[in-house]
Amino acid sequence: MPQVLQIAAIAIATFGTGAATLSVMNEDIADLAVPEGDWAATGALDGFAFRISGEDLSSGAELKDDIIFRDGTFQSTDCEEYCNFGWSSYQTKEIDGVTHFTTTAICPDAPHTVVWYGTVTGDEVAIDVTWTTRRWYWTNQIPIRVVGKVTPLDTISG
Amino acid sequence: MTSDGLTLQGLILKFGILIGIIALATWGVHMIRDALDLQIRPDNEQQVHKAIMIGAMAYIALLAMPFVPGAEIGIALLAGFGAAIAPLIYVCTIAAMMLAFAVGRFLPISALERALRVFRMRRTADLVARAAPLPREERVAMLLEGQSKRVLRLALRYRYVAIAVAMNTPGNSIIGGGGGIMIIAGLSGIFTPLSTFLTVILAVSPVPLAVIFLGLQF
Repeated sequence: MPQVLQIAAIAIATFGTGAATLSVMNEDIADLAVPEGDWAATGALDGFAFRISGEDLSSGAELKDDIIFRDGTFQSTDCEEYCNFGWSSYQTKEIDGVTHFTTTAICPDAPHTVVWYGTVTGDEVAIDVTWTTRRWYWTNQIPIRVVGKVTPLDTISG
Repeated sequence: MTSDGLTLQGLILKFGILIGIIALATWGVHMIRDALDLQIRPDNEQQVHKAIMIGAMAYIALLAMPFVPGAEIGIALLAGFGAAIAPLIYVCTIAAMMLAFAVGRFLPISALERALRVFRMRRTADLVARAAPLPREERVAMLLEGQSKRVLRLALRYRYVAIAVAMNTPGNSIIGGGGGIMIIAGLSGIFTPLSTFLTVILAVSPVPLAVIFLGLQF
């Protein structure tokens, strides 16, 4: 076999085995498990904005954010700083006067998937979030828990 | 009980010192890890990703070079990012070993020596220069200088086992480290690429597999 082909065969074998090894060994981490139910795109939270704060449960880092609901879509102003997620459609369901909502934001420039699940009770909101990054060599997940209150839309910048 | 002047007390003392060094190293790694406080957050994930990619490239390049300590980069990545990074380190180690083997096997020996001298890697160039005039099998035997003829004969007969053992032997940096061993293996011409590849896959697996299955317990 010519030398060039041998080198190519070694390179293909190395990278092929590498890719196979990583796909087998790289353990996926599931996104936040959102409870099942009669989720529907009702737009029930349109026009609301919440100022939220909480922590990254893995590092303990404090987080502050503003979230906005508009035209059946959702946006986190803090997440927009790290990736241009844009506006993601959200769904809601009503249980005993509590509005539950969920949305999944996908970063178009990097392999980030952010799943939100929260409950709105009166003016207050409590949310669980997972920020999952699926790189080709590993999967990293940041679990986040935040609470907050309604804030006027005009107080939110960005 | 004595052997070559080594008493039982001496043996126990040496073993105790070894345990002490391991304990100190464990403590040191934990200190470094705590000091680095590497937390992956949404705001730094991109930078962490870039750092890992640069680290992986540097790891492959350095590990493939003889007499250059590259394994430390792999250990640093493991210490910094934990067991999750072990598969990447494993794959990079295989890539580095096969890169060194391909350089030794396919680059003309005189060109390799000249290139090493251009890059001022004199020790490596000297190693290659010593190997150049030797018959193929003696090039491998060169790595086992000082060993008895029986050991040499066994090493040549079970050369793939010998190369796997050499790669995992602590202190193999004296004979060129993993990169140097693989360059000489390539130069010898007695190792086929496929068998060498399979040997490398098995030979470099103990550390990453231990980290994956046992966790990062330095």
